Amino acid sequence: MKRKIGLIVNPVAGMGGSVGLKGTDGDAYKRALKLGAQPVTPARTKDLFSHIRRKEEIDLFTAPGPMGEAHIHGFDISSAVIGRVAKQTSAEDTKRIAGEMLKQGLGLLIFVGGDGTARDIYDAVGLKMPVVAVPSGVKVFSAVFAFSARAAAEMVDAFIEGAHTAEEEVLDIDEKAFRENRLASTLYGYLLVPAVKRYLQGGKECSNISVSALESKKEIAAYVIEHMDKDALYLLGPGTTVKAIADAVGIPKTLLGVDALTDGRLVGSDINEKEILSLSQKFEKKRIIVTPIGGNGFIFGRGSKQFTPEVIKQVGRENIIVVGTRDKLNRLEALRVDTGDFSLDQTLSGYTDATVGYKETLKMEVRC
Amino acid sequence: MSVYIHLDMNEMPYLPPENVVRAAQKGLLNLNRYAEQKDLEHLKSLLADYSGVPEEHIVLSAGSDLLLREIVHSFSRGRKIVMVSPSFLPTVQAAKQFATKLVSIRLSPPEFVLKPELLLDEAEASALVIIDNPNNPTGKILLERPTVEAVLDHEDTFLVIDEAYFEFSGVTFADLVSDHPNLAITRTMDKAFSLAGARIGYLLVGNYFLDVFSSFYAFLPQSSLHAAVEALNCTEYVRKNVKLIVDERKRLQKKIEDLGTSVSSSSTNFLLIKTEIPDLSVRLKNSGVLVSDVSSQLAPGSIRISVGTREENDAFINEYSKILEEANE
Repeated sequence: MKRKIGLIVNPVAGMGGSVGLKGTDGDAYKRALKLGAQPVTPARTKDLFSHIRRKEEIDLFTAPGPMGEAHIHGFDISSAVIGRVAKQTSAEDTKRIAGEMLKQGLGLLIFVGGDGTARDIYDAVGLKMPVVAVPSGVKVFSAVFAFSARAAAEMVDAFIEGAHTAEEEVLDIDEKAFRENRLASTLYGYLLVPAVKRYLQGGKECSNISVSALESKKEIAAYVIEHMDKDALYLLGPGTTVKAIADAVGIPKTLLGVDALTDGRLVGSDINEKEILSLSQKFEKKRIIVTPIGGNGFIFGRGSKQFTPEVIKQVGRENIIVVGTRDKLNRLEALRVDTGDFSLDQTLSGYTDATVGYKETLKMEVRC
Repeated sequence: MSVYIHLDMNEMPYLPPENVVRAAQKGLLNLNRYAEQKDLEHLKSLLADYSGVPEEHIVLSAGSDLLLREIVHSFSRGRKIVMVSPSFLPTVQAAKQFATKLVSIRLSPPEFVLKPELLLDEAEASALVIIDNPNNPTGKILLERPTVEAVLDHEDTFLVIDEAYFEFSGVTFADLVSDHPNLAITRTMDKAFSLAGARIGYLLVGNYFLDVFSSFYAFLPQSSLHAAVEALNCTEYVRKNVKLIVDERKRLQKKIEDLGTSVSSSSTNFLLIKTEIPDLSVRLKNSGVLVSDVSSQLAPGSIRISVGTREENDAFINEYSKILEEANE
């Protein structure tokens, strides 16, 4: 049976790069055009389709014109068009058409673009539909992206062959800061991708020492749970590694929120600063469990605003448990903090032990 | 004849002298026999002279990675293993397999410095500390003498230093072996001696290690054994080739930097670069040049390039320049 797969191309993604602009958000797109920028997504999309091996098993549903339809001519693939777009396309088109594809029950959505496009897709489909993200933007920092169009093609084939899916991060990059050569990013959400780690950005060649990310997270969870104090309050930050701990305990976990756990019971779900402070006053012992954001390594100040300076001070530096898979942490220069309270950031700086496996720790530098 | 230019395994690109090759061929004449004990003892005595370590403190093996694995296997019971990250992959693999507890100290880019206080903190309790010095893949010297001596002061802590690239760095702690029972140093003739195909590794060990290794028997192939003996009788070619490689390494580093790519300074026969080009090792392979993608241990775009002959290095630069141009189009 053929698989229903969607295609959405952001036709302006990546145009800023060749003319020295770091993105095409807002007015930057008009400046890129004035500077003579040429579209880069057509070549990316063609590269993708020329490397998909199982084209005959695909029923393609593509966005119209430059958002997909125009780039698949010449490929022997059955296709239909979904939605309409004006001459100048926008983020709203991406969201609307992705939403329509979700409604029509497609099995997979391929999109070509950058971090901005990934956020639009996340807004439209969340975790309800797996995606393959083809990098084409100027800023492509989100872990959700394949590292090349060819790698994305392999992921599409893997999906058709029945690969499992896993959540990967979508980041919100502050483009103004990026143009000033500062990397300021926050965790925006997660998208589901075929779980073929070696094709994802940063995954690169899997070494023979690597266990799968899933196994690694299970090991970390087992070790953390084994050392849990039943009298203590555990504040679980966002991220899939922390979620693996909640899964192993058997409680639900919000992916982006902070949840609270004590003695194997959920005592707070998606709680804000006020709720955290109120809850933590009831416990003498408290711990925060966090995992860094992939790509930039922030453990505080980007992923979860709920961990405010007040919360962190109340818990104490020595009660912060950092977890993360070895592959993810290996890709970071250092862990980072930016809580908004510089003296606290300095207190948190230095070296900390991150749990990367069962009885395995990685001593990592924390920078502010 | 391989169609690829091999800049991925940190081998010496030059063949050993003809007399060494002939010695290996002579070894093949006794292909039906194991190596004789007297020949093994002869190799040990030559290595003792070369290293400045008494003969009875030398253990032979077919490759130093086997020795490292044996050490991890035999000495990690009841001890946590302390390493750096990144590190020589086969050792990491063995540590992950056998360790009851594994602590890795992350070397942060771009300097990749090992802070002595971090190491000493971990070495206080009973530990098996394994450090490659220079480090692979960063090429950095990680240990200073006062740090080594301070670690060795903890008698229940065993220190293993992998000196696979000692001939290129000129840094060794071999002189401490006789007086420190808890020190072991692994070496190899694969690299500077141009004998990667012979796989001769050796260990310089203190007394605590000797207890375990006294029953360790090295089944060295006849051809490898004879080649190693001959090589140690004419070490001038090693010095000459090492100098050629070190000079080439400096030239290659400058050429790469001139292309706008950051390169870590190195005390070995390889360089670590950080590139923004996705999938560079695959693109270079498609152009006939093999390099090692070490991104699984470091940041994405981390590539280790062995220093080859001048022609091989120029071929790499040529292909890398083309890839950079394509990426900037």
